[in-house]
Amino acid sequence: MIACSDYETFSQFSSGHGVFAATNCFFQRAPMTAEAAGWSLWMIIALPLLGAFFSGVFGKALGRANVHLIACGAVFGSFLISLIVYWTAADYATQAANPYAMGGLHYAVRHDFGTWFSAGDFKVNFGLMADHLSGTMLLVITGVGFLIHLYATSYMSHDPGYWRFFAYLNLFIAMMLTLVLADSLVLLFVGWEGVGMCSYLLIGFWYDDAQKAFAGRKAFIVNRIGDFGFLVACFLLVLLVEAFAQQARVESYQPTPDAAAAQVQARFKQGLATNGPLGFMGLEELAKSAPNELRNEIAEGPLRGHTFNGVLTVILLCFLLGAAGKSAQLPLFVWLPDAMAGPTPVSALIHAATMVTAGIYLFCRMSYFVVLSPFAMAVIAVIGALTALIAALIAFAQNDLKKVLAYSTVSQLGFMFMGIGAGLFWAAFLHVVTHAFFKACLFLSAGSVMHGNGDEGDIRKLGGLRKQQKLTWAAFAISTLAITGIVPLSGFFSKDAILHALHTNTLSGYEHVLHYVWYIGLAAALCTAFYMTRLYVLTFEGDRAPDAKLAHAHESDGTMTGVLLVLAFLSVAAAAHGIPFMDNVRGPDFPKQTLMENFLTPVFATSETLVSRLATVRLPPMEEQLKLPWSGWGMAWAIALFGGAAAVVLYTRVFKRGQVLTGPLGAMQKLSLNKFYIDELYDVAIVKPLKFVSFVFFKVIDSMLIDTVAVRGTAWVTLRLGSMLRYFQSGDAQGYAAVMALALAAGIGWALMQVVGK
Amino acid sequence: MTSIPTSYYLSLSAVLFCTGMLGVLIRRNALVVFMCVELMLNAANLTFLAFARERGDINGHISAFFIIAVAAAEAAVGLAIVIAVYRSRGTVNIDELQTMKH
Amino acid sequence: MSAEQLLFWAFAIATVADSAGVVIAKNPIGAAMSLVATFFFLAGIYVLLWAHTIAALQVLVYAGAIMVLFLFVIMLLSLPDTGRTMQFSVARILGGVGTAGLLAALLVSFRRLPEIDAAWMRDPAQVASFGTIQKVGEVMYTQWLFPFEAVSLLLLVAILGAVVVAKPRI
Repeated sequence: MIACSDYETFSQFSSGHGVFAATNCFFQRAPMTAEAAGWSLWMIIALPLLGAFFSGVFGKALGRANVHLIACGAVFGSFLISLIVYWTAADYATQAANPYAMGGLHYAVRHDFGTWFSAGDFKVNFGLMADHLSGTMLLVITGVGFLIHLYATSYMSHDPGYWRFFAYLNLFIAMMLTLVLADSLVLLFVGWEGVGMCSYLLIGFWYDDAQKAFAGRKAFIVNRIGDFGFLVACFLLVLLVEAFAQQARVESYQPTPDAAAAQVQARFKQGLATNGPLGFMGLEELAKSAPNELRNEIAEGPLRGHTFNGVLTVILLCFLLGAAGKSAQLPLFVWLPDAMAGPTPVSALIHAATMVTAGIYLFCRMSYFVVLSPFAMAVIAVIGALTALIAALIAFAQNDLKKVLAYSTVSQLGFMFMGIGAGLFWAAFLHVVTHAFFKACLFLSAGSVMHGNGDEGDIRKLGGLRKQQKLTWAAFAISTLAITGIVPLSGFFSKDAILHALHTNTLSGYEHVLHYVWYIGLAAALCTAFYMTRLYVLTFEGDRAPDAKLAHAHESDGTMTGVLLVLAFLSVAAAAHGIPFMDNVRGPDFPKQTLMENFLTPVFATSETLVSRLATVRLPPMEEQLKLPWSGWGMAWAIALFGGAAAVVLYTRVFKRGQVLTGPLGAMQKLSLNKFYIDELYDVAIVKPLKFVSFVFFKVIDSMLIDTVAVRGTAWVTLRLGSMLRYFQSGDAQGYAAVMALALAAGIGWALMQVVGK
Repeated sequence: MTSIPTSYYLSLSAVLFCTGMLGVLIRRNALVVFMCVELMLNAANLTFLAFARERGDINGHISAFFIIAVAAAEAAVGLAIVIAVYRSRGTVNIDELQTMKH
Repeated sequence: MSAEQLLFWAFAIATVADSAGVVIAKNPIGAAMSLVATFFFLAGIYVLLWAHTIAALQVLVYAGAIMVLFLFVIMLLSLPDTGRTMQFSVARILGGVGTAGLLAALLVSFRRLPEIDAAWMRDPAQVASFGTIQKVGEVMYTQWLFPFEAVSLLLLVAILGAVVVAKPRI
């Protein structure tokens, strides 16, 4: 074992902090080598998959307790293996000797499980990879997933279809893990579609109710539109990689701090050969070489005549469409509020913590491409900002507990997209992690509230739960503080890092975009504070509503509240990732980093290098960066407090419970309550024309033209022709002979004509 | 050497053939139809022999020989069929033998 | 008019008349008799065509065997009088039209046949041996042996077939 003090690349631990250093040294040495960890990656996905199979097939026979054991046990097993894998990936020493280490993925635990299919140059492998980014996601997915599984054992204890529920839930975890562990875009897409399918299955879990089933269908269809964007982006990317491989010479491969140009080219070709054009290995090397080729035109092939830059921008916009579908951004966010028709654990797991973050995960994976196109970044930031604001405004007037939380999710996802648009990928990812914790806590608390109030979800009929459901109240209060961004909870650090980046960074060519996005971000933060506090006040504070279902709410049982408290604790503790106390990797002259930023440095190293080389994102001058943003922090805190205070005042003193406003305020309330009529707009503009077109295709073309005219018509014509021709068969042999004689005469006569004519 | 041009023989054979064909198409008695078929075969024979003499080719005679042999075989079998039909239907009038109607 | 021409015209007219008789005769026996006469006169024409062997075979096989078979069958069936020979129908009229057309076409085409220089006739040896049974036998048993044997098999099959078909009960 190499001694801890020999690590020269990470000086922060060599400054000697005693126990801290010793503990760090212990945790830095992973228990197994990278190869062994890589080989065991498949078990992370296999355990929940097996759990899904057994729960689904044998669940009814096994009984409730066994199904709970299988489902929770599978996810917990995944969690344990994920821990070990994460530990191994984080251990820098074992990675140095890693034969799979390549390019920016120096610290990846990887294993190639063989070729899936290949056709000529195109190849897709069953490759799984866990680097720092996906390692963290693994822990979030399996950890939060396990907690939600525990919660669901109590929440769904009265549901007859429990075995189906846990099977779908385990399948979802398996698919999400596939998405995160994938080594190439194709395998990622398998997980992408898998989570979409599981989302549909789980939203429409209570399929007896038609409305719930329609909600599931809507989610799936809107997701599919996003999938279409994803696929188009993949196809274009294959063409781009091909064109690049043909066109680039050695000189165009940009040398990086860790490799010369020839080495970069060799890695690119190797990545292409072993993993196909859509493997992340090759794509990262491609991005490293791209700066020299961006302005050039593609010479051959279907993309001839377009510049590399142009094609890359289109690819990123198509990926944005896919991410917008999966992560519920404008214009494809309409499925998420409807998805609240599913059981609450589903909302917590899928629509708060994991599936909706797949879009951000995708962009973090492709960070080296995103920074190459300032236009795409501007579009991402604008879309994120608009979504955040619109969703926040809609949440103002919603009366359903879960719907408010759903719009809150959409809004927070908008924040993450703003972070990506600003080029601050680590902050967006940190927000993913913190959001997973506090949003899951919020949703599960909402479930606990509904459980304790006879499944009442309308906040106008709740109230006064502070005394009646103490533990739920505590969890909900902590999470609300976290989401509104009150120091020292985690939500503040992540959200504020994004807002700070929007304020200070500019995109080359689109200088003012990020500034306006920053304003919208501030407004959205204000709105977040307002509606979350409103939700809290109406649900927990004040007197019990006069028309509540139960006079006295009862607290949920130990399992549910235990999970709530764990998640609330994590919402607080995750703040540790956001405090900028670590020395920068690059040296003491650079600004201090947060733990998350430091940890994710190897993942985003390529994009950092590209940004500094191409200046697509202009960072503020070094003196600015070295200062800690006290003024920014102060402003953010002030906004959160102001929003929260306004909500408290309005909803405890001014408005009565369930009051419908009049006048201009009333018009705004109605607009907000009806979701800005976006669903109705889509219905008129898109759904109805499509239904009409499909009606035409069904009744006119299929039923009439094809079935009646072509198919039955042909048969009818044949029948009639046959019954006409039948009369030629008279049974009269002489008649037949007569016809033959006539034909013979005619034939000879014709031959004669030919001869005579000559 | 020959004062009858070949075309006279050929015309004679054409007349014979068409007479036979007329008989096949018009007569109702199956046996008479059969006899007219034999007539047509003979007309063919005549054609063969006429051309054989014109060209000095003895193969025409061979063909005629085979036609005669085959006609004999065919007549034997055909008449056996006529007998069988007469036995089962009681008539050889082909107007009454139309069971293969639609 | 030479003897050959006289004989030709006599035989030709007789043949045509007798063949007309076959078609027109009311009684099948009458038709059979006309047919026999036709065969005889045809044999004469064959001789004029220097086809001596075939002429002999015509009389022996056709007139001597086939027609006898026909007469046996006619007598065996002992058919009653059939009534009118002619019964008009669309098929029959069409047949008549077709036949007339065919006759016209054939006659026209036979008129237009080109003249072939019969050079072989200047060789007396060939002329002497043409159509004789030696010549026919020579060719038959060398070049056409296989068809000869096949035809004999055919005749065997025909006999068997006739026996099987005409049996009263199998």
